[in-house]
Amino acid sequence: MGRSKVDLAIFVGKRVVWFVPVLFGLITITFFAGHASVRNPCAVWVGPHASPDTVRNCIEYFGVNRPVWDQYTGYLSNLFQGNWGKDPQGGQPVLPIILTLFPATIELLLAALFLMVVLGIPLGVIAANAGGRWPDHLVRLFYLGGWATPAYLGAVVLAIGIGPVLGLPNSGDFSSTPDPGWQLTHMSILDSILRLDTGALVDAIAHLILPAASLALLNLGIATRMTRSSMLEVLPLDYVKTARMKGLSDFWVLYKHALRNSLISTVTVLGTTAGSLLSWIVVVEEIFLWPGIGKYAFDSILSYNFAGTLGVVVFFAIVVVVANLVSDVLYGVLDPRVEWR
Amino acid sequence: MAPGRVVGIVGETGSGKSTLGQSIPRLLPEPPARIRQGRIVFQGSDLLSIPKWKMPIVRGTSIGMIFQEPINSLNPAFRVSDQLIEAVRIRKLRESGEAELFRPTEGFDYSKDRPVDPKEAIGRTFLPSAPEGRRPRAGRTSEELRKDALEYLRLVRINDPETILDLYPHELSGGMRQRIMIAMALSEKPTLLIADEPTSALDITIQAQVLTLMKELMDEVNTSILFISHDLGVIAEMADDVGVMYAGGIVEFGPVAEVFERPAHPYTKGLLESVPNRYKADGPLPSLPGSVPNLARLPSGCPFHPRCVFARPPCEPDPGPALEPVKGAPAGSNRRAACYYSEEVVRLK
Ligand SMILES: Nc1ncnc2c1ncn2[C@@H]1O[C@H](COP(=O)(O)OP(=O)(O)OP(=O)(O)O)[C@@H](O)[C@H]1O
Ligand code: SF4
Ligand SMILES: [Mg+2]
Repeated sequence: MGRSKVDLAIFVGKRVVWFVPVLFGLITITFFAGHASVRNPCAVWVGPHASPDTVRNCIEYFGVNRPVWDQYTGYLSNLFQGNWGKDPQGGQPVLPIILTLFPATIELLLAALFLMVVLGIPLGVIAANAGGRWPDHLVRLFYLGGWATPAYLGAVVLAIGIGPVLGLPNSGDFSSTPDPGWQLTHMSILDSILRLDTGALVDAIAHLILPAASLALLNLGIATRMTRSSMLEVLPLDYVKTARMKGLSDFWVLYKHALRNSLISTVTVLGTTAGSLLSWIVVVEEIFLWPGIGKYAFDSILSYNFAGTLGVVVFFAIVVVVANLVSDVLYGVLDPRVEWR
Repeated sequence: MAPGRVVGIVGETGSGKSTLGQSIPRLLPEPPARIRQGRIVFQGSDLLSIPKWKMPIVRGTSIGMIFQEPINSLNPAFRVSDQLIEAVRIRKLRESGEAELFRPTEGFDYSKDRPVDPKEAIGRTFLPSAPEGRRPRAGRTSEELRKDALEYLRLVRINDPETILDLYPHELSGGMRQRIMIAMALSEKPTLLIADEPTSALDITIQAQVLTLMKELMDEVNTSILFISHDLGVIAEMADDVGVMYAGGIVEFGPVAEVFERPAHPYTKGLLESVPNRYKADGPLPSLPGSVPNLARLPSGCPFHPRCVFARPPCEPDPGPALEPVKGAPAGSNRRAACYYSEEVVRLK
């Protein structure tokens, strides 16, 4: 136990190892929940107008009448061999689809988190510093408004109300489809940078603003509220007065001495928020036609694409775990009293 | 307060000592705090008439402060070096003219009967003194700032400053933290240093060490000090003058030796009598019945009258007595008390 790099590595390593049983449990629950709630997925897979023969063939082919336990062990052994299964309707393997869609979702998520941090945290500082006077109320009105707005409504208002006024594109990630093979990572901004294409970069950023802003504006209340309340706790402390008594201006007192300590709790909350942002992302991607995993997740569930659903669950779980890990590490970095263990 | 003089403030817990100290550099959050009347005159300027956002210019280089609880007074998130160098740097920026430095008002004269050139008292550099001819603009690289910071740690008698500088506050003892606080306040060479019970939270042995250190530094550093304490013994040791506080106001003021020898206010008298051997004014005072009133609902008239053995009209009706020169005190001794019967009290043996 301590604060050396080795201690940190052991800390991260332990957390990663712990992730394995968590993931295993998650796959198990999702698998059984899916299979228990759907008696005969073939009825959906072959469509309403298929002949009974087709349905029988389908049942035969996919083995959906086998005991669930057999199906489960079969799925797991495939998974261990790197075979994530196929979409029963289209027949495409699930993993390559997820790997092309998922980076775009991560990009949107990171952009939203970035906006939540650069807008939400200063708003919290302003509110705490105003402490009950009008800027405090104004900020509260702003973030509660965002919070109370349903995602579909807020995103639609931004997409068709505000986007056109500002001249911002409101669908997709690029104005024109990139050439095949141009996309390396499927993150529009990262690809533009890797290809050293400034035109594409500007285009990518413009396309990212509205979906990221709608996610951020609806959720930044969490960052603002947490920052405000922890700032209110920190501001009366003696070390803030010490900082003032050095002759530092309000700006440095607030944003260096006080905020640095308040961030410790804000970062923790933001880490847990990353997971809940994923559920909003499904709606936002749909509205802005963002080429992410949201639509795929939605379609997979509706079409009883078990392999697809499980794949999405695994990736969402990775996001949640990584976000929590990052926030735990940041917590320790921000607070020198924390020891890695 | 005369330049270079140490004024002690003494009073029971809750009598408003910290509030007084923090109201001078306007450190109290306004609201809820509000300075309803009076002025805060510092080197000829009324600090109440300076816009709030300009107050940081007065703080640090002109008015410094040491707080009561060393556990809370250093920022837990930054190394000692960051916090100390920050203070050293502010002084340098202000001296070199890159940042605004608060200056005494033109023609400011501390007092008519004791004409003191404030520049003589204030500007005297004590440590580390820049070599003659070297412009203050120099000495701002990080190594030089660090060197200065080390100097100040040595000034407060820290033996291994190199190591200490790279530690975080939670890795230090209370006494060590308080030394660092003192180093930090001194590194800005303030004209006025407000020390709010700098030793009350420390162990008795450490307390003695820190007090000795402060006493030694007082001779080296020509800074006026407002020394707050609830310990009469400490005040007697450290201060030249003393102000006795009761219920948010100063009820008696004068040279320490005279006030402690012949108090002019019944409260001071009670305070002194209640601490026969250990000079400690903590907790309820045996010879003073009752306790400090709630400052939000002061009794009418003299705030001390419910506990005062001398109380009789006109002590009760509004308003209470003002702080006025004590009649019957030795001539020229500058003694003041807020009591209708101070003349009678000061004559008592
Ligand atoms: N002049 C005043 N006017 C109104 N309220 C006051 C005044 N002075 C002090 N108070 C109130 O009294 C409370 C206690 O005052 P303060 O903390 O300054 O006491 P203290 O003498 O420093 O006590 P301690 O010895 O415990 O540090 C403050 O919180 C403040 O609300
Ligand atoms: S004014 Fe009256 S009540 Fe107040 S201290 Fe003096 S004698 Fe006591
Ligand atoms: Mg106090």
